[in-house]
Amino acid sequence: MNRRTVVKGLLLFTGGLVLAPSCVMETSKASIRLKNLDISGEDEKLLGEVVETILPTTDTPGGRTLGLHRFTLKMVDDLRGEKDQKAFTDGLDAFKKLAKKELGSSFMEASPQKRQELIAAVNAGKAPQDVLAFYKLLKDHTITGYLNSELVMTKLRVYELVPGRYNPYFPVKTKQQS
Amino acid sequence: MANLNVDSVKQRTFDAIVIGSGMSGGWAAKEFTGKGLKTLVLERGRDVKHLKDYPTTNMLPYEFEHRGELTAEIREKNPVVSRCYAFREDAMHFFVKDTEQPYVQEKPFDWIRGQQVGGKSLLWARQTQRWSDFDFEGPARDGFAVDWPIRYKDLAPWYSYVEKFAGISGNNDGLAELPDGDFLPAFPLNSVEDHFKKQLKAHYGNRHVISARCAHLSKPNQIHLEQGRAQCQNRVLCQRGCPFGGYFSSNASTIPWAERTGLMTLLPHSVVQEVIYDEKAGKATGVRVINAQTKEATEYFAPVIFVNASAFSTNQILLNSTSSRFPNGLGNDSGLLGKYVAFHNYRARITAEYEGFQEYATDGRNPAGGGYIPRFRNLHKQETDFLRGYAAGFRADRSKNSDTSGFGADLKNQLLNPSWGIWKVGSHMMGETIPKAESQLSLSKFKKDAWGIPLLNINLDYDANDDKMVADYHAQMEEMFTKAGFTNIQKTDSHQAPGLDIHEMGGVRMGHDPKTSLLNKYNQLHACPNVYVTDGACMTSTSTQNPSLTYMALTARAVDHAVSEMKKQNI
Repeated sequence: MNRRTVVKGLLLFTGGLVLAPSCVMETSKASIRLKNLDISGEDEKLLGEVVETILPTTDTPGGRTLGLHRFTLKMVDDLRGEKDQKAFTDGLDAFKKLAKKELGSSFMEASPQKRQELIAAVNAGKAPQDVLAFYKLLKDHTITGYLNSELVMTKLRVYELVPGRYNPYFPVKTKQQS
Repeated sequence: MANLNVDSVKQRTFDAIVIGSGMSGGWAAKEFTGKGLKTLVLERGRDVKHLKDYPTTNMLPYEFEHRGELTAEIREKNPVVSRCYAFREDAMHFFVKDTEQPYVQEKPFDWIRGQQVGGKSLLWARQTQRWSDFDFEGPARDGFAVDWPIRYKDLAPWYSYVEKFAGISGNNDGLAELPDGDFLPAFPLNSVEDHFKKQLKAHYGNRHVISARCAHLSKPNQIHLEQGRAQCQNRVLCQRGCPFGGYFSSNASTIPWAERTGLMTLLPHSVVQEVIYDEKAGKATGVRVINAQTKEATEYFAPVIFVNASAFSTNQILLNSTSSRFPNGLGNDSGLLGKYVAFHNYRARITAEYEGFQEYATDGRNPAGGGYIPRFRNLHKQETDFLRGYAAGFRADRSKNSDTSGFGADLKNQLLNPSWGIWKVGSHMMGETIPKAESQLSLSKFKKDAWGIPLLNINLDYDANDDKMVADYHAQMEEMFTKAGFTNIQKTDSHQAPGLDIHEMGGVRMGHDPKTSLLNKYNQLHACPNVYVTDGACMTSTSTQNPSLTYMALTARAVDHAVSEMKKQNI
């Protein structure tokens, strides 16, 4: 299957998570049920744009389409302790403030070009510590979610459930040869 | 009404009772039913049927809610079992949770338990090595514990017997310290593992890296196909239960085999409270069982009883089986029941990198896990300032890596087009620990579990011998890694509590003399010969091998003995 076919089928892939909707569909609430994190619908949209900047749509779907922002929220909510959860929400607030300061507008209102510039700075460690802590959690879970998504595992970097073989001397090209 | 009672007792009477359905209990069930005995198998956990009760076996990584990881809530509620490498989202339903069955840690002990039909045989790491006389003669030569009442020649035919049925892959390596066996083809070493093997041979002569011997069907024989098992498909997701029956478990092998005879009655949810001793008859007559769900007590009867509840649980049952003849636990005339327990020292690891063999990687997965280094320390004679020695695992892996420092299209490209990294090598130590009188199990005088059984107090720890062994392993491995050209060598000591090795042993040890041991050379209680113990509780010393294969062989041998003694009316 080539990548174009994958793009056609992109609506099938949602990061592979079955996410329970939150009980009350208020616009101010996140669209998934979270036990510990206090995340608004606006925050969720913002995170969607940040993960889309971290892993953008190219000829294959990007972070937002794959729902990696919601995946990250669920993992921080379920897997991480209170300390990380606080670092995530505090850092998210700090990120919003940083965006306002650096971009002169909210991250959502900024152009893709501006967004990229801000993420480039944060990614390079040029941001306050609380923003960096938030960004690291988001990026780590985004990468895990991406590599463990149905799209990647079935189409892009295929995971074999049943290899049925072991070749202890598998020839590969060395760097010089490639 | 009297007749009803007689009928009821009759219905609860069998030719043999086996307590436990794990690694050794499954073998006892197979052997007894194979010899025509009506056999009751009691399992304290739930039933787990092969294939049917492996809910996660065919799940893909993205189908797990947390992609295989444990939630913070589960980790907080289960600090002990969460430390076990196999307690993950895909297999956590096969482990006992911390709160389900408490015990008393007089010293820190991570008691990892799998209580269901099949026990830990579903979850084990499947490494299977025979003992040699270097192991059986250890206590006598080095003056600790007591002499084993058996030698390699006693067990050798039974090793062959269980290997053929279970399916063990490995090479006949011709090493006196790790006897050859009846093997299926080995899973071969990869380029760097082979390199290390050659380097050790060249530099030391008497240090060996062999293909790890493991209970996987690399090439099934007829007997395995008859069990309904098929060739291992290299999934390496064994802890979920294997849809191919590619590795040996009670669930895939011995239990269904016993079931097919029509002679086995398997009762899950049956917590054995005690073995019943009849003062007049001068022998054990049966067991008292508490139904785990209804808490109702029922007695079952048989002329012979095998206790295979897992090493420490077997101690607990025997300690709780008191009578006026045995006020301190069944068969405990010596006062040593529960004492001289030991384990394997798994604290030490070493990792490194290797720049060579860039032209090779591996493809597929190796269920054997790589190489195994049999014990070389103090093998022929005492040569260090500590007793005994260690075996070691050794593996080399090369994986594809991505540079994740960037973001955007570049990061995505990196993730989708990883490149081969360099080889990473690693080894872990499996050290023999010395059984001591102060390493012991006892029953709590105050606390009872939900079934009215006193909790088990566990009291054992590392000692100076273990610390010296860790230091020696690090020094020797570092030297060997250096000679092999490995770089960036990192040594670690996890300081993990005993128990996480999941190789706890002893407490009902075998020996020649009833004054200093509990079991004779056929695993019968000296003082109550119709009760046999063939799980880890019977071990006089631990040596360095993964112990399950030895439990299997001891069990098959003991059942053969029991049935022959029954025919002679000796028990």
